[in-house]
Amino acid sequence: MSMIKIRNLYKSFGDLEVLKGLDLDVDEGEVVVIIGASGSGKSTLLRCINFLEESDSGEIWVEGKLVHHTGSDINAVRQEVGMVFQHFNLFPHMTVLENVIEGPVQVKKVPRKKAVSRARELLEKVGLSDKAKSYPASLSGGQKQRVAIARALAMEPNVMLFDEPTSALDPELVGEVLLVMEELAKEGMTMIVVTHEMWFAREAADRVIFMDEGVFLESGTPDKIFTEPEEERTKAFLSKILASPNT
Amino acid sequence: MDFSKILTFVPYFLPAAWMTLKITTMGILIGLMIGFPIAFGRISRRRFLSLPSKGYIALIRGTPLLLQLFVVYYGLVRLVALDPLPSAALALGVHNGAYIAEIIRGAIQSINRGQMEAARSLGMTHMQAMRRIIIPQALLRALPPLGNQFIIALKDSSLASTVTVRELVLTSRQLASSNFMMMEMLAIAAVFYLILTGLLTLLVNHLEVRMSVSRA
Repeated sequence: MSMIKIRNLYKSFGDLEVLKGLDLDVDEGEVVVIIGASGSGKSTLLRCINFLEESDSGEIWVEGKLVHHTGSDINAVRQEVGMVFQHFNLFPHMTVLENVIEGPVQVKKVPRKKAVSRARELLEKVGLSDKAKSYPASLSGGQKQRVAIARALAMEPNVMLFDEPTSALDPELVGEVLLVMEELAKEGMTMIVVTHEMWFAREAADRVIFMDEGVFLESGTPDKIFTEPEEERTKAFLSKILASPNT
Repeated sequence: MDFSKILTFVPYFLPAAWMTLKITTMGILIGLMIGFPIAFGRISRRRFLSLPSKGYIALIRGTPLLLQLFVVYYGLVRLVALDPLPSAALALGVHNGAYIAEIIRGAIQSINRGQMEAARSLGMTHMQAMRRIIIPQALLRALPPLGNQFIIALKDSSLASTVTVRELVLTSRQLASSNFMMMEMLAIAAVFYLILTGLLTLLVNHLEVRMSVSRA
């Protein structure tokens, strides 16, 4: 059974067609990395899977269940699908620990004590046990993103979506976030990751998809996509990415 | 001018200052009760909520408080005859409701969209996200302009003197008409206003520090 199944997904913003009939199957435990130029629709796709954007047409199945655009369906799905944002979006008025327990306590009605002990485990996992009482403003970007990952994991999701999780970070902070993500991948988490970090794609991805102008142009193992891409546009994109000093 | 003689009039101002404080407090409380729902209505995508809210704000901000006070005190007399104090408090509240609504609306809309998305992505309902994530942050951001508005409300309460509420301004004029020390009486009223606005400023600053202590 596919963890995520997408059929014929369309999304436009006004006259601009961003997703042009996408199909995608992501198996349980699979790690899919989506690459592509900015504006190719990668983020929009992730946001549609989490219903932060409403797709115009097409079907999204999560764990074998077709999701309808109703409040209750969407809120239920979001508990199964964790999301990590480019700009972290931590809650600034709450401590790190409060950030992590907010979802379980408010949404799943987990008893506070239980949520706290689970949150401490997660903070240890992302290497931030000592920051539980800190406020987000006092953390570095890399630490913020690791808290954001812990916050998403606290809901015990079955799928994790990462929307350019390291693009807003200083280069020296990228590694710590990718390590946490790689660990998560090894543990068997189903993940869809929009990123340009080739290192992560090579180490952790089962499949790399090159997205271009709203369609999946090419997909395959990291080795295949990075060393012998078939499409000219993939080649052109990769040569630009690999030439840039940041990667 | 004999300074000690002026001071003998100060006690007459104490009940007046209390009255000013009472009108202001009631006005602010009514203003908050009106302001919050109007702010949410104003933001709402549902037109039957947003249109009346926009209309309210346009009407109240577009007409003078003095006129609104006369409408409440003289105009409504055929419907309901309100005493001077409730009239003044109501007019001040209705007036401030529009301004407070705009302050709250601005504060809510200034919170980064990502906050709502992060909350929703955890499975929170829109209401939960508002209550737990957006409003606490918005309130902190609204506090300085709200404090400013409260100070304006305090000074605007002086208009209640026109409908015979014996607050600071009316008291100073009444005393002056019998002792012929207009300037002196107005000066005493001014000092009371300065004390009250000063206290209000301290209170708001204190709240600001206390609420934001976590952020540093």
